[in-house]
Amino acid sequence: MEALIKVKRFNPEESEDTYFQDYSIDVAEDSTILDSLIKIREQQDGTLSLRCSCRASICGSCSMRVNGSAKLVCKTRIKEVSPDGEPITVEPMGNFPVIKDLVTEMDSFWSKMKSVDPYVKTSFEPEAEHIASNESMTHLLGVMNCIMCGACVSECTALEVDPTFTGPAALAKAYRFVVDPRDEETNSRLGNLNENTGVWDCTRCLACVEVCPKDVAPMERIVKMRDLAIEEGYTNTSGYRHTESFNDSIKKHGRLDETRLALESTGLLNISGLIDLAKIGIKSLLKGKLPPILPHRPKDMKKVTSIAERLDNQGSEED
Amino acid sequence: MSKHDLLIIGAGLAGLRAAVEGVRQGLNVAVITKVHPVRSHSNAAQGGINAALTDRGDDWRDHALATIKGSDYLADQDAVEVMCREAGEAIIELENMGVIFSRDDEGKLGTRAFGGQKKARTYFVGAITGSALLHVLYEQSVKYNLHIYEEWFVTKLIKEDGRIAGAVAFDIKTGQMELISAKAVVLATGGAGRVFEPSTNALICTGDGLSLAMQVGVPLMDTEMIQYHPTTLSGNGILLSEAARGDGAYLINSEGERFMERYAPEYMELASRDVVSRAEQTEIDEGRGVDGCVFLDLRHLGKKFIEDRLGYLQEVALEFRGIDLSEKPIPIKPGMHYIMGGIKTDLNGATNVPGLYAAGECANVSVHGANRLGANSLLDTIVFGRRSAIESVEYIKSIKNFELDPKELSKEKSRIQSIIDRPKGMRSAELRDKMGSTMTKGIGVWRDTDSINFAIEGMKDVRAQLPNVYIENKGKIFNTDLTSYLELEFMVDVADSICQGANARFESRGAHFRTDITKRNDKDWLKHTIVEYNGEELNTTSEKVTITDWEPTERVY
Amino acid sequence: MKYAFYPGCVARGAAPELYKSTMMVVDKLGIELEEIEKAACTGAGVLQEKNQKLGDVLNIRTLALAEEMGLSIMTICSTCQGVISQANHRVVNDKEYLDEINEELAKEGLHYSGKTEVKHLLWILLEDIGIDTLQKMFNIDLSGFNFAPFYGCYLIRPSDALGMSANPKRKHSLDIVIESTGAQSTDYAGKTRCCGFPILLINQKNSLKMVAKHTGDAKDNGADAMVTPCPLCHLNLDGYQAKARKQNKRGKADLPILHLPQLVGMAMGLDPKELGVNKHLVSTANFIKSIKSKVA
Repeated sequence: MEALIKVKRFNPEESEDTYFQDYSIDVAEDSTILDSLIKIREQQDGTLSLRCSCRASICGSCSMRVNGSAKLVCKTRIKEVSPDGEPITVEPMGNFPVIKDLVTEMDSFWSKMKSVDPYVKTSFEPEAEHIASNESMTHLLGVMNCIMCGACVSECTALEVDPTFTGPAALAKAYRFVVDPRDEETNSRLGNLNENTGVWDCTRCLACVEVCPKDVAPMERIVKMRDLAIEEGYTNTSGYRHTESFNDSIKKHGRLDETRLALESTGLLNISGLIDLAKIGIKSLLKGKLPPILPHRPKDMKKVTSIAERLDNQGSEED
Repeated sequence: MSKHDLLIIGAGLAGLRAAVEGVRQGLNVAVITKVHPVRSHSNAAQGGINAALTDRGDDWRDHALATIKGSDYLADQDAVEVMCREAGEAIIELENMGVIFSRDDEGKLGTRAFGGQKKARTYFVGAITGSALLHVLYEQSVKYNLHIYEEWFVTKLIKEDGRIAGAVAFDIKTGQMELISAKAVVLATGGAGRVFEPSTNALICTGDGLSLAMQVGVPLMDTEMIQYHPTTLSGNGILLSEAARGDGAYLINSEGERFMERYAPEYMELASRDVVSRAEQTEIDEGRGVDGCVFLDLRHLGKKFIEDRLGYLQEVALEFRGIDLSEKPIPIKPGMHYIMGGIKTDLNGATNVPGLYAAGECANVSVHGANRLGANSLLDTIVFGRRSAIESVEYIKSIKNFELDPKELSKEKSRIQSIIDRPKGMRSAELRDKMGSTMTKGIGVWRDTDSINFAIEGMKDVRAQLPNVYIENKGKIFNTDLTSYLELEFMVDVADSICQGANARFESRGAHFRTDITKRNDKDWLKHTIVEYNGEELNTTSEKVTITDWEPTERVY
Repeated sequence: MKYAFYPGCVARGAAPELYKSTMMVVDKLGIELEEIEKAACTGAGVLQEKNQKLGDVLNIRTLALAEEMGLSIMTICSTCQGVISQANHRVVNDKEYLDEINEELAKEGLHYSGKTEVKHLLWILLEDIGIDTLQKMFNIDLSGFNFAPFYGCYLIRPSDALGMSANPKRKHSLDIVIESTGAQSTDYAGKTRCCGFPILLINQKNSLKMVAKHTGDAKDNGADAMVTPCPLCHLNLDGYQAKARKQNKRGKADLPILHLPQLVGMAMGLDPKELGVNKHLVSTANFIKSIKSKVA
């Protein structure tokens, strides 16, 4: 069948501008996008640059934007993306500088990895292996499945506006050490991750979870680390106040008390923050958009608040 | 010009393990790799890593015997002893580094069964053991702040006064070429699967180190020993791990029969890989296959078991075949997977060129002989990666500082430029495809005089056409058109050596099965085939296998 | 057509114009709504961070209440839609967990069988009403207008919890509805990105960068207004647009942000002021004028 691939080209040796090039290549029915890119490179255009190696979704080289969203092209079938033969747009990953064509510069990716101290820290030298439950090791398997392809980074909406954010890949990797029973630095790791550019900068948009080809679910790991940081006593963040306030709201009203949430998250001692909030508050008041002093409550509110009270002490369910 | 004590070419398991050891030994170490370390093909190993842990009742001699029998008695037994004896320590060290090995009920390292062994001694991480190990070694490289030339391509080794002196390489991202001086070099460049088509191997497995070694006068050993893995997908050749069979999967033919009963009644699906591949090929050739395949059946293992222990296999099956392994058997066939042969080294990774070492798949100590047991390859990389680095320490101490001749750089730059300047001709992929199909046809699961000659003649043709390959991409940045051609040159050297080796061994042993000489002949052939490049052509000689405690016997599974 | 109505907290709080415009539009559409008065807040993902189980129990309870009413749920907030769908998806694929939750619900005499659907008004327009029928209810032709769709993360991710493979058109639902009015759907990068609301109170700087980028890009690409099916997105994109664009040097706050029912209502010929379009923080005066000029 004929595959129509529209590739975003860029060659700094020739020009600073990017442009799209249309290719048409004959491939087998069940071909992947990588199959067609390799064939194009081998038969039609030797100037096309891309990274690829294993063809079996384990090396992580071939993450690219396909129709606007990052995918591993070695395991993306053409028919899956383009069932009726429509052209497929292939671009380099987002949020990375481009070296050439589909090859991105990965320096910031690797340096962020390094910034989370990605190795088990233990001073205890056992006689043989550290004893650890199979359950703890199997749990780590989920996050060890990460092949460092960069798809999550490509689509991270927080990184798009703030390149200093540590990012989903490095944070998922950090999680792997935070919950490794052999690592002895859990507390200080969480302390560092609790800081600027760490776990609280994630906007919980699920983009990374959606695109990860290995079901690592980086966002869920980040959220879990927020929880763990709080458990370790790191409660000096507006993020902590935000989640506590929300929780209290449900326990008390069964619904969200927006005003209280805004005030408590900002921090009742944060004068400049409160003044800022007040400005919006006044504008909203003038438009009749200020939330009521007492939030609208559900009927039979006590049924909800009693559930909240009861389950509050049980904590979160283990995934 | 950069200078190092120890330059390691390749950042897979063998390379990184050597590098970490080198740093621990206080050397100035650098690793040079054409892909980022975690992209190395070590990550594709799935099933596990063997070790006899003597502190819990296992016996390394049992592992050694299984390995030697698996090798069809071609392995050098002193080398096998080294590997099996050091395995226990190697595994524990890996766990201490942070590998997330599977555990038993007591929280100790857990095992799965694997091919060619009666006792389960394969330690594993789901079905991604290679990836898990590689990532931990990468973590260690971060911890030790290892100097890595990332995405640099080595084009040539440099010798001076008969000993190794460094290498010429260029940065793939910028095209900038440099001389790198080193007192010692470890070749850890992995396998050469792309010489064949199809293969389980990644596109980067082009035997670079084998050719680089040959060019400086290092012999290759047992190059005819090409492992065809029993369970690969047809078409793209992607691997389905032996772990499936280790965890209980069956092989069945078109009649639903567990045919291994007829070929290896004791070991069944866990006989050595060459035995299983030949069994499958026989079934297929005799009409009990479907579209050139037989089937791997995991249905009886249950969905949860498959997802927990063999998750990556399920992913591959679903993604590439649309098959849920808990519901349907999957068609598979023997596929080219591993080269037992390679750069001849001693027990410490040293070659005949002072300062030049080799470890991992590109090396041949020989621990795998004529057939490698599953889960021994990962062990090989760790044990001999480490040993090469340790061995190099004393040697490096004995070398005074030196300067490389800058003419080496200008010479190599000219050579590369003249390749780029070639007039329009054929594309490298076309020639590689020709080589791939020729070699698969000539040096397959079955070989004979005709097929070997077919391969030899075909490769003569391929070599003759090398000068006609042109490079369309004249740029400096990420020029894969150029690197593909340079890899092709390496592969042609490797393919020629494979043909030479196959042509030299007049018996069947392990993976080298000749339909015209089907018997193993210990009397005349208990030796290694040695292929050496003398500057003009390939010479073939032989060398006796080192036997210690295990007399060769009939190999039955 | 009748649905169990789940308006969410913000439609009753900081975005009352959403509630009002929804009521006006469903009336025209002939949809009957019965509010699930006993339902709790979904938790918006924030509650789930601290206590996943509590969030799941409250949301499955909402589904159980709807099931008792014998109706599917209609939502008018991307976040509510997403959070309830995720909870639904979790229990439908994990019988043990569903049993656990039902144990809690039994204390109130409730039970969830896993069979209730929850749909955003946007999907109801697309699938239950149908675009052809919807278009017949439009009184004014909005061609010449350019509206930037802003979906809101939880309406489009994760796709397996939102029925995307069974209903692939949902991925472009907002573009489709915009185009059904005769208007053009603005092509700009931000339509599936995050508005920044979840980190507004945590990292305001980054939150506002998002607001500035998406409203600025949409405006640069010709948008007359932005339309969003999520009142939380609306709060950020409208409420903080002035500060965001100033802080990030993207000009003035000149992009009106509309709730979905306001767009649909205007296309039906309903009065923008009645629909609460004049209640937003970013001025809509000029925009309302240009709509009114179409009514003639």
